[in-house]
Amino acid sequence: MSTAMNFGTKSFQPRPPEKGSFPLDHFGECKAFKEKFMKCLRDNNFENTLCRNESKEYLECRMERQLMAQESLEKLGFKDLMDEKSEAKKNL
Amino acid sequence: MMNLNKNLVFNIFYNNFFPQTTGLGGSPVAGHASDQIETMVPVKDRIIKVTFNADVHASLHWNFRPQQTEIYVVPGETALAFYKAKNPTDKPVIGISTYNVVPFEAGQYFNKIQCFCFEEQRLNPQEEVDMPVFFFIDPEFAEDPKMAKVDVITLSYTFFEAKEGHKLPVPGYN
Repeated sequence: MSTAMNFGTKSFQPRPPEKGSFPLDHFGECKAFKEKFMKCLRDNNFENTLCRNESKEYLECRMERQLMAQESLEKLGFKDLMDEKSEAKKNL
Repeated sequence: MMNLNKNLVFNIFYNNFFPQTTGLGGSPVAGHASDQIETMVPVKDRIIKVTFNADVHASLHWNFRPQQTEIYVVPGETALAFYKAKNPTDKPVIGISTYNVVPFEAGQYFNKIQCFCFEEQRLNPQEEVDMPVFFFIDPEFAEDPKMAKVDVITLSYTFFEAKEGHKLPVPGYN
């Protein structure tokens, strides 16, 4: 596959990720959650907005297994999902 | 001029070659990034198609590919995507990757929260792993008039073999 860089255009400067690198999931501990997420994407025309619960569950799996540094779900962009959950609990 | 750019890009790449200590083990993240993520509001009517490329440098005998060809996101909403890598050889191989975003001007809005890049990744013989990328497009993307016609952003990862004393080639300048 060709890279899109041409002579004369500005060069792209890669930046490291905010939270560094994910450790490799050598034993596939979170593979089932990944499969669930990928299935959600396939079932929903690859719309990320419709699969955010599944992506949250994947990241929770990683955090539970030391495959990702602990971070509150709000700080991972899932605040609205947490708000929904607490709303639902209040209405029980 | 080209030489200057080449050295600048190489230095940035080289400086990021050393394993990072942030992320794993609970070391703090830059406060502003997490705060931004927590408070950012998705721009729901601005749908962007993110497409995925995967490359390996000739000397790295890995099978490396994206697990989805595209994903539709909106600015201000965190998103997850996956690549997959397999080492089909009978020896462990260590790879290290960098990435590229096209169009160039969209790159400044592309924020990787966590991924598998810039750090050595070791695959044992016959091992296959999922490689996630967790990212978001800055909501300010939607306010930049230069981005008004940008509906597709392409994320490309390239893996190189990490060997001692081996000079890493810079993608695009070979």
